[in-house]
Amino acid sequence: MSRLWTHTRIAWPPVALLALVMAVAGCKPERSSEGPEPAYRVYRHAMDGAPSSLDPTHASNLYANFLAVNLFDTLYRYKYLARPYRLEANLADGLPQVSADGLIYTIRTKPGVHFIDDPAFPEGKGRAVRAEDFVFSIKRHFDPATRAQGAWLWQGRIVGLDEWKENGADYDEEVPGLRAVDDRTIQIQLISPFPQLTHTLAQGFAAVVPREAVQSYGQEFAVHPVGSGPYRLLSFNSAGAVLERNPRFRQEPFSLEAEGFDPDSQGGLGLEELADRVPPFADRIEVEFIAEDAARWNAFIAGEVDFIKVPVSQFDRVLASRDPPTLSPDLAERFRLNANLESGFVHTDFNMDDRQIGYHPDPDQQIRNRALRCAIIKAFDWPRRNEVFYYGIGEVFPGIIPPMTLEFDADQDRAPVLRDLEGARDLMSSHGWHAGNLPVLEYGFPSSVTERQMFEQFRSFMADIGYPQEKIRPLTYATYGDYARAYLNREVMLTTTGWTMDYPDAENTMQLFFGPNAAPGTNTANYNNEEFNRLYRASATMQASPMRTAMYRNMNRMVVDDCVTISGISRTLILLWRRELAMLPDRSFVGGFFLRFADPESAGGEAE
Amino acid sequence: MNAERRIWGQLRDDPAGLAGLVVVGLFLLVAMAVWLGLIGQDWSAADGARWETPGPDHWFGTNILGQDIFERAIYSVRTAFEIGLVVAVSSTLLGALLGALAGWYSHSWVDGAILWLKGVLDSIPFYLFVAAVAFALQGKGWAMHVAMIATFWTTTGRLVRAEVMKLKTREFVLAARTIGLPDALILGRHVLPNTIHILLVQASIAFVAAIKTEVILSFLGLGVQDGVSWGLMLAESTQEVLAGHFSNFLAASLMLFALLMGFNLLADALQDAFDPKQASQ
Amino acid sequence: MLYALRKAVYGLLLILGVTFISFVLMVWFGPDQTYTLVGKNASAEQIAEVRHQLGYDQPFMQRYLDYVTDLFTLRLGSSNASGEQVSRILARTVPVSLALMLPGFVLGNLLGIALGLAAARRRGQWADRLISALSVTGMSISFLVIVIALQVLLSTPYGLNLFPVRGWQVTDLPSYLSYVAVPTLSLVLVTLGYNTRFYRAIFVEEAARDHIRTARAFGASPTVVMWKHVLKNSLVPIITRVMFSIPLVVISGSLLIESYFGIPGVGKVAFDAITSGDQPVLKAVVGLTAAAFVLIQIATDLLYRLVDPRVA
Repeated sequence: MSRLWTHTRIAWPPVALLALVMAVAGCKPERSSEGPEPAYRVYRHAMDGAPSSLDPTHASNLYANFLAVNLFDTLYRYKYLARPYRLEANLADGLPQVSADGLIYTIRTKPGVHFIDDPAFPEGKGRAVRAEDFVFSIKRHFDPATRAQGAWLWQGRIVGLDEWKENGADYDEEVPGLRAVDDRTIQIQLISPFPQLTHTLAQGFAAVVPREAVQSYGQEFAVHPVGSGPYRLLSFNSAGAVLERNPRFRQEPFSLEAEGFDPDSQGGLGLEELADRVPPFADRIEVEFIAEDAARWNAFIAGEVDFIKVPVSQFDRVLASRDPPTLSPDLAERFRLNANLESGFVHTDFNMDDRQIGYHPDPDQQIRNRALRCAIIKAFDWPRRNEVFYYGIGEVFPGIIPPMTLEFDADQDRAPVLRDLEGARDLMSSHGWHAGNLPVLEYGFPSSVTERQMFEQFRSFMADIGYPQEKIRPLTYATYGDYARAYLNREVMLTTTGWTMDYPDAENTMQLFFGPNAAPGTNTANYNNEEFNRLYRASATMQASPMRTAMYRNMNRMVVDDCVTISGISRTLILLWRRELAMLPDRSFVGGFFLRFADPESAGGEAE
Repeated sequence: MNAERRIWGQLRDDPAGLAGLVVVGLFLLVAMAVWLGLIGQDWSAADGARWETPGPDHWFGTNILGQDIFERAIYSVRTAFEIGLVVAVSSTLLGALLGALAGWYSHSWVDGAILWLKGVLDSIPFYLFVAAVAFALQGKGWAMHVAMIATFWTTTGRLVRAEVMKLKTREFVLAARTIGLPDALILGRHVLPNTIHILLVQASIAFVAAIKTEVILSFLGLGVQDGVSWGLMLAESTQEVLAGHFSNFLAASLMLFALLMGFNLLADALQDAFDPKQASQ
Repeated sequence: MLYALRKAVYGLLLILGVTFISFVLMVWFGPDQTYTLVGKNASAEQIAEVRHQLGYDQPFMQRYLDYVTDLFTLRLGSSNASGEQVSRILARTVPVSLALMLPGFVLGNLLGIALGLAAARRRGQWADRLISALSVTGMSISFLVIVIALQVLLSTPYGLNLFPVRGWQVTDLPSYLSYVAVPTLSLVLVTLGYNTRFYRAIFVEEAARDHIRTARAFGASPTVVMWKHVLKNSLVPIITRVMFSIPLVVISGSLLIESYFGIPGVGKVAFDAITSGDQPVLKAVVGLTAAAFVLIQIATDLLYRLVDPRVA
């Protein structure tokens, strides 16, 4: 009897575990087939990062911007389907009227637009959106109490705005260059021409918020957004956000023509059948923040989300061909693919402020330093970098004008991105560099698996020109914020960053190397070339023209010749979504604006 | 029969303990060979293709960069021993010192202060504390060592304190006090040597804990900064296993398991050998 | 009375110590949040503005005093990162961690006790050896390895593919069970080795006591002896172990499980706060954990006195 007792004691724990597994195994939620009622359409979007705040003044990254433009309204947006990207009126009722000297912008807003209902308003009813709200929303970026992150877009550009801040940021004080002429008319007066102004008004930063809500929620406005966008917030935490259709959103039927539909490249996605229906098409949007690649992929394959940006580790399995990227046949039965060249690039800057590698008061040493930088660039193996980390489908290009811009020169000399070990060694020996006197390179990166692998790969590239392993040291930072602190304080010799463009105009990447923008500005290379600076100043007030393009390309050559940065690569993003969904997702300028056009129900996609 | 012989005899009759000793010994040999530059030196070279399967050129295959996983796993033995030894020895010594002081001057302010410090350290969640130390010492390779030493000593300290309080009342100690030997001498010569059984066992436990903690910290990006370790390999594998590449995961986790198992068996055997009363019950 | 006073003073000192250490490490030497809060192309002036708002320009003592006063007056404030009130963050995340950790914690301890009893009951026999060998094996596997392996085996097409691979979309009981299953199993596996060994040691020691031997000598059945005497007398160490785990289960959550499975619990929130330097959140989590520890230490002490009046 007692023997038996002992046996059961030993035996039951594994049995219990097994029982638990079995009992729960049946419970894996089959979420794709459920839903309160068939007419209720849910679209589930996976995102590879999470915003920490939903306040438009904090919409500094892709994730925050993605949600901001859906919860709030912006004056402008980008056309859903037009490539290259083109602006489209959103809350505004047309493109701005610009004075002949390019200094005064007049913008009319659409009538009858209301904020969502919220207790912050009298009787809880959302009131009409007024021009004054836009003025308030931009002023917030200049109010220190907001801790806003978008002021740099308008700093030094709008008459009286910087002074308004210096005078204590009193919202009741008028800014001469930023006025509501009447309830529906906005007038902006610039200090000097700023051709990119309209683009800045299509960003989450410029979204319109009601003063009542900001005042009544204070800091908590960041998690309690009140706007007039196509969606309103149901819930938000570090795992995801749930949005619901804003029933009061203005009725504007979907027009293929106005959105720039191209039947040749965009036919067969089911978009044609959406014509004349009124967005937003989905009743509910579930955005899941899944940072880990593998987990995000599994959630997608398991049908837990409808859309994913495919992690590079899965490209092998997803793609049947690389150029152009096509979907492997087994997946093509269930999904559709869009290859999206990123609107930005990844590059590794030398800190020109560091005498060991950058500028030096002694002209001879300065020449030797340049030779060393050029040798390092020559030793960098772009094809291998591309192959290992971007599956060989990224676009490598010399310099700082990324391929997706109109100013990109497809015919430029590609020598600067071709590996030349012999040339690198010659350059080093002819300038007196040898293993013994090479400086210790400190390569900074935020501590993550991929960043570390990139560092190790860089080190192995340098080993091929005899750069000793122990002379290339990692400087690791636990978070991106800490890394940023270090390079903005010019403490890092080699800084690898990815730049995502704010608007489709190469001016946005040119400013990355403009002397006065040196750290703590965005010029992390601390590059300071007077000729470059002069051309930048001259081109900054110019509308797009062949002449301006020529100037950009000239500046690009200077950066390449001075060997300031190991650059660069634009990643190709592979976007995948369920076939049944009639949509064309985008990770670039359209970004979050596409959500209103995502239709989870229309079966237009079932071609085969 | 002197104690060493008796313990050795006990250990010899304990096959599991002996196996543990052999495993640890083998790993130690590997670590020394790496130290001497005999093996595992090519852990950083990226001369293979991406994710090669195991073969004659790369016994365990290659990782994403084309680095040899076998070389990396072998080099990681050295990393593991460096971390394990530094943390185990330092935290045990610190625990012995503070524990002995607290026990010797029990119920005085010294004891109070040490107990307070232990209480404080025990009240901060371990990983939060370690993460915070790793931050405060940003980028320093030894940040995680400091964090572990600062927390691991408390268990040793508690055990040594209790033992010293017991020893304090023993005749040979009382005798030493009566003839007026200074406290430091009594502690160092007569008391601490009698806690060696605690220290050895605690050191091997701390070794295991240090290696396990390194894995978690490296996964969180707070561990090994330059070089390679099983923790870094596992962190790398978290991005690979779900795409069907298991080499990193298998190599790191199996070697890690073998070493930890060896140490755990050894620690058990030591405990039994030192404490024959309990073992014979 | 004097006893209570002494305990209170000790508890206060302990909390002060914890706040001091956490302040020095996590705030003074901790990450600077300025650079995640400023926008692109920030000027030195704007950086100074943000630093001022965050209070980074205050002297050490001032900042420490603010830290302690905020904590003792329970003025938890709002997160620097999101602006959300810390009390709300806790109210949102603590229940998640609790729901996540509790099943694994309870199961891990119950199984540990059961296996420990079984082993102690058959001390030295093959069953005992088997259990001991298994618990050493369990102790030798890294937490991370267990988590990775279980995820592959249970939640992916490479294995059984039974559960969601990650996340926490809990709406009802079935969804809760499906999301909690893999984390629970991981937690049980990772703790079972240690728990079993711990409880076995307690039961072995207890079984060797004189009164147990006496009971046996008087012919009490082994089952009765185990249940009535050994288990009952081992309650104090069991309860102590369980109690000391409470702050970790309730307040700190499990950092590794939450970050690996992407579960929005308090462990992940606390870790993110450390790495980003979100001082208000940190303050609350560390302070409350420490307070809970102190209360539990006092409670445990009282418990000992109740059970065994000789301890004093």
